[in-house]
Amino acid sequence: MIQLQKISKYYPVGLGRNFILKEIDLTINEGEFVSIMGPSGSGKSTLLHIMGLLEEPSDGQYLFEGERVDRMSEKKRTELHRGSIGFVFQAYHLIDELTVYENIETPLLYKNISSSERKSRVADVLDRFNIVAKKDLFPSQLSGGQQQLVGIARAIVSEPRVILADEPTGNLHSDQAKSIMELFKELNEKDKITIVQVTHSDVNATYGNRIIQIRDGHIRS
Amino acid sequence: MMWNNYLITSTRSLTKRKLYTLINIGGLALGIACFILLFLFLQNEWTYDRFHKNANELYRINLKYGEIDQPLQDLALTPSALAPAIKSFPEIKAQTRVYMPNMQVANGNKSFNESRFLYAEAPFFSMFSFPLIEGNAATALNGPNMVVVTASMADKYFGTTNVTGKTIKVNDKNYLITGVAKDAPSNSHLKFDFVGSYSSLGIEDKWGSANYYTYVQLTNKSLDQSLHRQLTTMVKEQMGAVSDKYTFDLIPESIKDIHLYSKAENSVEPGGNLTYDYMLAITAILLLGIACINFMNLATARSADRAKEVGVRKVMGAVKKELLTQFLTESAIITFFALILGITVALLCLPRFNDLTNSHLSFFSDWKLSIVLLLVFIFTTLMAGVYPAFFLAKFKPVQVLKGKTPINKGGGLRKGLVVFQFTAAAFFIICTLVVGEQLSYIQNKNLGQERSHVLVLNGSRFDSNTLAAFKTNLLQQSGVEQVSASYDSPVSIGGGYGINRIEGKPANYSMDITAMPSEKDYLQTMGIKLIAGEALADADIQDVLKNDENSKHHFYLNESAIKKLGWTPAEAIGKAMSLNGRNGTVKGVMKDFHFASLRQKIQPLIVFPEYNWFGEILVKVNGQNIQHTIAGIENSWNSYQPGKAFEYHFMDDDFNSLYKAEFQAGKLLNTFSSIVILISCLGLIGLAAYTAEQRTKELGIRKVLGATTGNLIVLLSKDYIKLVLIALLFAIPLGGYFMHKWLTGFAYHTSMSVKIFMITGVAAVGTALITVCIQSVKAALKNPITSLKSE
Repeated sequence: MIQLQKISKYYPVGLGRNFILKEIDLTINEGEFVSIMGPSGSGKSTLLHIMGLLEEPSDGQYLFEGERVDRMSEKKRTELHRGSIGFVFQAYHLIDELTVYENIETPLLYKNISSSERKSRVADVLDRFNIVAKKDLFPSQLSGGQQQLVGIARAIVSEPRVILADEPTGNLHSDQAKSIMELFKELNEKDKITIVQVTHSDVNATYGNRIIQIRDGHIRS
Repeated sequence: MMWNNYLITSTRSLTKRKLYTLINIGGLALGIACFILLFLFLQNEWTYDRFHKNANELYRINLKYGEIDQPLQDLALTPSALAPAIKSFPEIKAQTRVYMPNMQVANGNKSFNESRFLYAEAPFFSMFSFPLIEGNAATALNGPNMVVVTASMADKYFGTTNVTGKTIKVNDKNYLITGVAKDAPSNSHLKFDFVGSYSSLGIEDKWGSANYYTYVQLTNKSLDQSLHRQLTTMVKEQMGAVSDKYTFDLIPESIKDIHLYSKAENSVEPGGNLTYDYMLAITAILLLGIACINFMNLATARSADRAKEVGVRKVMGAVKKELLTQFLTESAIITFFALILGITVALLCLPRFNDLTNSHLSFFSDWKLSIVLLLVFIFTTLMAGVYPAFFLAKFKPVQVLKGKTPINKGGGLRKGLVVFQFTAAAFFIICTLVVGEQLSYIQNKNLGQERSHVLVLNGSRFDSNTLAAFKTNLLQQSGVEQVSASYDSPVSIGGGYGINRIEGKPANYSMDITAMPSEKDYLQTMGIKLIAGEALADADIQDVLKNDENSKHHFYLNESAIKKLGWTPAEAIGKAMSLNGRNGTVKGVMKDFHFASLRQKIQPLIVFPEYNWFGEILVKVNGQNIQHTIAGIENSWNSYQPGKAFEYHFMDDDFNSLYKAEFQAGKLLNTFSSIVILISCLGLIGLAAYTAEQRTKELGIRKVLGATTGNLIVLLSKDYIKLVLIALLFAIPLGGYFMHKWLTGFAYHTSMSVKIFMITGVAAVGTALITVCIQSVKAALKNPITSLKSE
């Protein structure tokens, strides 16, 4: 599903280059639940951002479902964004001015989905995550765990094939973290959504079926 | 549906940041309100006399005359003989003379002095587009003692507009009302309440004096040059021998140019002032611009707040176009509310503004305002919204979501805009101060004659016997100190005379001079000082009144006149001279006093007693219990002028009316510079609040490290003060230059002192400092623990 070939990311420093990622080769198959681990500054977030099309690699090729992403038109990339990739962030990144319901609805608006379908999809997700009662609250009225739940609901409402999660439980205490990870596991197993998460936690990493260790821009295992 | 989402985010974001929203909407609304009012005013100014269907073909003939090699007089008035003489010109389709005296109009007990009383010939209502509600435009003025009244006058005298066929008394003569006209629009230079038929006046056609307006309608609009040539030839024939000594030019002037461009004096209505109009137009655009700048500045400054939203939306697949639409929607919402508020404010302020500008503007006069409002809406939305929208839409989601907010981006532009705002504000302060100084200079200027406590009554209907009796009666009243009379108003003497013989000069000597007939006690009443010669005795008046070849006149010349004649005051006394055929001697020399606008240098002047006609009766009162004194004067008036309305005003009013344009400009400047300053400060409050908020953490750290509150206030304020100082560097030379040019329009003016610039500096820096400090103090007083914990 995701194929990275000799992907590098660097910044020019003086005469040389400061490598964040160096010649990464990585393949993630459909239906996998991959955890990327590594110390701070090892480049794991950058790797995730490249997979999510938020950053462009300096070198190398990126194939998404066999297609060269780096050769895609802006329009196609946006389509990919809207349709196939969902994001979950450590800091949740909900829009403060919107209610839970509206936050979840927003990605569907960008996909031009009809009003009635939006309603039913959002209602489904709310129901599934048990947050129907909270749909009219604003993010600031929710606990961290609840916010992340909304963040995940927002990520899956547009039915993506991949969810990229950047330390999704980094700001949560362990009970909340556990339920979030179980949710990911469920999404992976039941809905067959490919999940790539960056994490510090060994416990969280065990929820996935593969662990990739990254250090100083290289994959270690 | 997407729109829904935009609207929701926008309105919630706006209600959440109340200060920001208030500043934006408030500032914009103020700017828009001012813009609307100024637009209405300028629209009125710039459409003067264009509403006439024949506007392109309508001309007024002006008269330019004077001695060869001397400055020429430029008059809107022409001799009464002109119109009949040009009747047969092929260029002319129709013509009318117009005469504008003050008339006493009465219906039963209702009696008033009417100053907007025109006399015109029959073609008047077909040449000009003043529609009649009743009556026939073609025949309404075609016989003597006919009058057309305006709807509001019909209402004033009869309480109904259905008055055709009724009679009304005009100076005690019965006039038949032949029509009712709509009130003349405010953008007509011919404003009238009554139009009487010219034939009622029974005036013979003379070339000797110029007291009548001549309006013509050409057969084709491009014929004015050809008409001018014809007029020149005709004048040459008429003048014959004197044409090598005097120039006498008759010039057609398009009716559309009269209000803004005419230099001819004594027009029906004083003209507009193009310079002031341009200044107001610039002010209108500046005000709107400055309000837009607030929006731009605040939107970019607080972009950090919105950065996360932009990032999230981009991650969810929003493209730039969608984000632009979103932020422009937000800008449109703000502009919309500001527009509504601005229109409301403008509507509420319109009566005040009409007072201020002495006009009758209305909101609903035509559709143009709605078009302009639509344009203002679009312009403001785009101007205020486009830059912030691009600025925000440009954010890279990764950076934003990583927590790097591009706080300092756009700082340079922001600073530039603040400098621009404060340059404008300081410029307005300078203008306001200088205009204010000049106005107070004018008001406090010692004219060399009395102008306070002088009551002015209408003298035009007194013969000399009644006047003498009235005067004696008045002088017996308590509170009345002196009584006299004069031809013109003492503060604007305008009579053009000529000295045609004078002792000690060659026989063909002649000199143009301003002169005025007056009553015996004129100089004493007006407190004009003599530097040589003596006051008039009763015997002197008898000399004048003989009215045959033995009559002897007595002349008072001012200092400027004897200087021009090359005499010392002592030499002048007793010199024989002749003023337009009046033979006599110089009786005294007056100390120079201002008898015209301070724009002009004091010119040579002669005041001489002559009892043919007086326009003004001057009553010097002692200023104690004025109401009682006036009541006494009114009693006396009613016994000498029974049935004639008693109307009075003070000489100060006459004096002030010479500077109407300046007082008006002064008041407008006061108002609008306050608003410019207010809007600029609003913007500064917003900016300062956001800087303080953004630097909360830095301030916390500094405080922990030992900075005092004072240190922090200085830290936060100094950047803004620097900007204001830079603005002053631009504003001072700019304002100084413009105001210097304005002041040189006055022969007598105040000097622009350093004080003005110092006050400007203190005011600009002071307001900025106070504005910024309020925010800085709030930030500086925060407990550092709270600000650092939140990280």
